[in-house]
Amino acid sequence: MLPAHATFYFPWEIRTDAIKDGTSLRTCWVFQRDPSAPFLCAQTLRLASYLPEESRAVLTCVRASVQHQVSVRTTFVEPFHPVIGAQYIVLGETEKAEGGDAILHARVLTCVDGVDVALLQKAVDEQRSFFKDRDGPGPE
Amino acid sequence: MSDKGDAEEEPPHLLWGLDPVFKAFARLYVKDILQMRQSRQVPGIYFYKTHPVFQVDVLGTVVYRREREDFCCYGVDDSTGVINCLCWKDEKWRDFGDSVKGRGGGVFDAEEQLRKLREAQRSRMELDIGDVLRVRGTVKTSRQQREIMASCFYKVSDPVMAVQISRMLEMPSLYRDCYDRPFSVPPHQAGTAAAAEPGGLSDFQLLLGRAGRILKEFLREKEVARFRPYDVEYLLHPLLPRPAATPSVGQELPSAAPPFATQVWNLLKDSLKILQDEGEIFRKVLSPDEVYNVTEQDKDLLAAIMDVLREDSKREKYTEKGCHVLHVLSSVRQRYSRNLSREALQVALRLLECNSDIISTTDSHYTVL
Repeated sequence: MLPAHATFYFPWEIRTDAIKDGTSLRTCWVFQRDPSAPFLCAQTLRLASYLPEESRAVLTCVRASVQHQVSVRTTFVEPFHPVIGAQYIVLGETEKAEGGDAILHARVLTCVDGVDVALLQKAVDEQRSFFKDRDGPGPE
Repeated sequence: MSDKGDAEEEPPHLLWGLDPVFKAFARLYVKDILQMRQSRQVPGIYFYKTHPVFQVDVLGTVVYRREREDFCCYGVDDSTGVINCLCWKDEKWRDFGDSVKGRGGGVFDAEEQLRKLREAQRSRMELDIGDVLRVRGTVKTSRQQREIMASCFYKVSDPVMAVQISRMLEMPSLYRDCYDRPFSVPPHQAGTAAAAEPGGLSDFQLLLGRAGRILKEFLREKEVARFRPYDVEYLLHPLLPRPAATPSVGQELPSAAPPFATQVWNLLKDSLKILQDEGEIFRKVLSPDEVYNVTEQDKDLLAAIMDVLREDSKREKYTEKGCHVLHVLSSVRQRYSRNLSREALQVALRLLECNSDIISTTDSHYTVL
């Protein structure tokens, strides 16, 4: 059985997206491929953010001086050697964690340190606008 | 599957080869590969819009993996869809152990280097979840599921996503410029008649073929040796739809289509060009007075060829093998017509050989008995 495909979402889109569609089928399976989430910037966050005993990692990114944070469950991708401060891309499903926050259950967690974030963002936007032009606006 | 494309008409399979997408590995989004509709004419061919497709090129992340003894199934996710790729394991890796041990020392060991090279090659063929896979192959549908039968696949080393990003940037323009456009015939092939005909290429090519056949038949039947274009123009009149007979001289409709006479003339010129390219006819002299010689009926040409072969086959240089076709060509050009094409010479040589006047010793050497 093949898993469903993972659409690109930016870190700042995950929260709103997941909560808005909280009940639809798609929601439980909103797939995230998080492009520009630096794995815990050590300078900005003081606490150590990979908690192996909990299998939980926190990725953050700053956009327009707002910090966005994503919790990632890492049970599927362990053993896993965190590189604090490096950029990662996550592919997985969102789940509702206790407290109502979305947590990302990673299937793939790849270190892409050095990625040209601006270019990636442009590529994702380009792809989105292509599909929007071709298929019309989505069902939502 | 999707009903999106059903509105599009499937072009006749005879024309598929004219579509460059057909022969290429189409770089389609997985979503589109999964939704392409199957051809009603030929199984195993799919249609993206009006383009026939049977082989594709996909790049994506491996999100699923199942290993069998002979092959591996990878689920590849390109962020629009996930498709199964069946990748055969190469026989030569089957018993690939570490039979050759490093001999140590700083000596260059070719065998050792080869082993390392093979090892590197093999590591590219083994993928795990999370790796980036590039795969080319044919699209198949088995058990109601689309999959790609890989003819070539490898792991892409893409640490900073450069390959993936450039592909993502490239795909939309590829779609806009190629896949999403209906296939149309390049204008230089369609010529002017195609502009007048709604069917585009197919109609004009058919017309051209028919015109060529009519002309050839006429020339053979009447044993024409020489003609001028306006002598045969009337033969093509029935091929083109005549404009409604309007007695008024003034053109009522400033129609986009060229007038009937021009259409016939263009068709004739194109047909004569084709006959010339085939060597059926040639122009002995390039003068304003357009006279065409029919190769097979040109007694003087045949005689000139025979003379060249008869004389030169006696020369010591050519006794064994006969004369090369290019030698004959240059001699006949000097003797008879400087404007003779190689194709026309071939047609004449074939005729002489059929009549047993000459024989070919190789595929490009001729001699007389």
